[in-house]
Amino acid sequence: MSVVRLIARDELRLMARNRVAVIAFVLLVLLTLAAVLSSWAHQRGIAELRSRHAAAAEQAFDAQPNRHPHRVVHYGTFIFRPLSPLAAFDPGVDAFTGNSMFLEGHRQNTANFGDVRQSSLLIRFGQLTPAFVLQIVAPLLLIFLGYGALARERERGTLRLLMLQGVGRGELVRGKGAALGVVALLAGLPAMIGFALIAGQPGAQIVPMLTIAGGYLAYLALWVVVILLVSAFARRSRDALLALVAIWAVTVILLPRVVPDIANAAVPLRNRLQTDVAIARDLRRMGDSHNPDDPHYAAFKQSVLDRYGVTRVEDLPLNYKGVLAMEGERLTSSLFDRYAGESFAAQARQNALVDAAGILSPAIALRSLSMAAAGTDFAGHRRFLDQAEAYRYDLVQRLNRMQATDVSYADDTATDAGADQRKRVAADNWQRMPDFRFERPDGAVLARAALPGLAILVAWLMIATGLLALATRRLGVR
Amino acid sequence: MSLLAHELRLLLRHRLTVAALALLAVLTIAALAAGMAETSRQHAAIAAIPAAQAEDIAAVADYVDQSKDAGSAAYYSFHPTWDAPAPLAFAALGMRDVSPYMLRVRALGLEAQIYDGDTFNPELALPGRFDFAFVLVFLAPLFVIALFHDLVSSEREAGRQRTLDALPNGGKALWRRRTALRFALVWATLALPFTAAALIEGVALPTLLIVLDLIAAYLFFWVGIAALVGRLQWSSVANAATLAATWLVLVLVVPTLANVAINRAIPVDQGAEIALAQREAVNGAWEIPREQTMRRFYASHPQWADSPPLGTEFHYKWYLAFHQNGDASVAGRVQAYRAGLEARDAAGRALGWLLPSVGVQALLTRLAQTDLTAQLAYQDRVRAFHAQLRDFYYAYLFRDRPFGKADFARAPRFKDTPDG
Repeated sequence: MSVVRLIARDELRLMARNRVAVIAFVLLVLLTLAAVLSSWAHQRGIAELRSRHAAAAEQAFDAQPNRHPHRVVHYGTFIFRPLSPLAAFDPGVDAFTGNSMFLEGHRQNTANFGDVRQSSLLIRFGQLTPAFVLQIVAPLLLIFLGYGALARERERGTLRLLMLQGVGRGELVRGKGAALGVVALLAGLPAMIGFALIAGQPGAQIVPMLTIAGGYLAYLALWVVVILLVSAFARRSRDALLALVAIWAVTVILLPRVVPDIANAAVPLRNRLQTDVAIARDLRRMGDSHNPDDPHYAAFKQSVLDRYGVTRVEDLPLNYKGVLAMEGERLTSSLFDRYAGESFAAQARQNALVDAAGILSPAIALRSLSMAAAGTDFAGHRRFLDQAEAYRYDLVQRLNRMQATDVSYADDTATDAGADQRKRVAADNWQRMPDFRFERPDGAVLARAALPGLAILVAWLMIATGLLALATRRLGVR
Repeated sequence: MSLLAHELRLLLRHRLTVAALALLAVLTIAALAAGMAETSRQHAAIAAIPAAQAEDIAAVADYVDQSKDAGSAAYYSFHPTWDAPAPLAFAALGMRDVSPYMLRVRALGLEAQIYDGDTFNPELALPGRFDFAFVLVFLAPLFVIALFHDLVSSEREAGRQRTLDALPNGGKALWRRRTALRFALVWATLALPFTAAALIEGVALPTLLIVLDLIAAYLFFWVGIAALVGRLQWSSVANAATLAATWLVLVLVVPTLANVAINRAIPVDQGAEIALAQREAVNGAWEIPREQTMRRFYASHPQWADSPPLGTEFHYKWYLAFHQNGDASVAGRVQAYRAGLEARDAAGRALGWLLPSVGVQALLTRLAQTDLTAQLAYQDRVRAFHAQLRDFYYAYLFRDRPFGKADFARAPRFKDTPDG
């Protein structure tokens, strides 16, 4: 054990004497701190802004004067997607999705005003977050510090000397690995301090945080092992460096861009224009509420009349216009659900293709693990969209029901000068409407979504460690 | 010439060099193919608009024809607009994956429609697209580093440098020759496939020449950096590490830092405010005397002021008037929002003068018309088209002219290009 420690200490001393290495390490730490602080401030700023906007929108809704309920259906409401605390560590797709949504009757709107359309072109170069630093920058630093760990000893002939002095191959590799591992831990430490800051926030969940910490630990450990592995095989340190930079460029930079492009081409998405046209077409087939002779609505009307045992809509105890609005909303919403479901399923297939590529690139596996646990992946956005649609439907149907019960059919169809006031419902009704509250997923749900990524990373780590064990046995053998 | 041919033979005997060039060629061709596939998908989506639109509008026409009500026609008719990719778009897809290039609008309040997006998968957009711009900006420098980091140092480490310096035509002329040769090879690996793709896509010759120069200039920058590092007389491995670190800083770290700084320095949060304020203005019209709305509308649109006064019944001209008033009420915020976007974009471009990586990306997306400027230009075209739509429907509504089936064909049509 003491031999391992000696070698590790010696390697660390060598790194410390390398001025470039020390500068690079200090820069990485500063970069991580900058990333932690800026994305924490960013996340808090966004959370504050969105909750301010949400409060303003709720207040505006509640402050409506006496209104016809159907006016309120069109007045609609704005909701804002709250940002999970872990988004300060990995904001995931937050900048790439709209974060505010207008909810109204008959229509399903897109989420708008995402950062990606509001930022300079620099946003496409990547976002400075702790996740970005650990996923992309930290491995390159480890490569710079570790490529020569074994290759150097061989190149300079000191490997033989060490062995002659009785150092075991395993001890040597373990010592070098320990030194590099210490660097990896130190490099990851500032990000983990940021993590601790986040943990102090209300609503932060401990299980996904542990998953994320474990995932990044496995990722950096994997890089340490891969670096030693390449360094053990390479004939010269330069070859080791070039090979490692190439591996890094392919797995961290290239594949994460290429694979989504392939997924995009493999699984086409229906665009909004075609979706809207298709929904309108299906709706016409189901029934045309504008057409008095339409079979669906004629049958619906008869069923309502039969239920109340009357022959004319004027005799119904309910306002038939409200009842009709409920039926219309039910039909459109069922189509919205169907088409949104198809689109979500197609996007999930695309993402599954990308996730499968985690087998080729641990960086992809880590990215999906990290976003899934932080709740900032596509599934997280979808959770928001699903809840938004459920809330929209509930709100619109409450208002339609209010039209059916609180506005009389006679008033609703009247067009005289005073009719506009008689059709209205008292203003205090609006305050009684429930506000949108985003239900955060359980920590266990988030952690479970991160498991596939974690499994891929651990498998990578085990395979790489096995290969390193084999390489260690052949170390120094010609 | 024979000296160059000899150097070429020497260079191509290097397995690393040949492998690097081959890989770069594969990546370039793949990126070009991916970009071309994407733009052809976009062309196909645009080409599919008329059929869908014809079906959709026919159903609206059937319904409206019963009442001949121009207001219902205006309310229910969605009119398509689109922004066809420019010839060079395949090389730099820019914002086209996250900003809509197709948008349907109706003659109601535009500010509630123009910020809508299209369907896209955010997880796929997150890492950025694999296009020619990415290969050039991100990957090409790594290949330059692989080929140039040991240009001199390998000869020194092999103990040949002094001999080479002493040769006739050796020394500086030799390094120049080798540099020029490697540079030309890397440039050709990028430029030849690009030229082929550009010719297929019909890129104008001046644009093509600018891009070819741009490729050369960007590569030259990285060759210059490699030469500077080489002058320090370090070992090959130290050169490689230094250059890779420089790449990391210039291509990844500084742009992300600058992004944070720009977004902090120029806050843009008017988007949601526009949406909220416009809605209040539009819905508030139901609470105020209708004449007030009409007075305000006629003040800015005197050409319709002689329209008959409103009765007690609902009239769509009032409805459309308060929609237009609603748009007018947020015009100041819209200006501020746009100014904020442009300021951020300008700041990002300004950085391009200092950072070649950003500069190349900015210039490529400008030439390809896939940047924010192009996106805003598309919005301007949508705005102009929307103004035409309003005028078209107002001519029926404010004169109480019936709107029959034949009138649907008279509606303004979006022009493919600003001047086409």
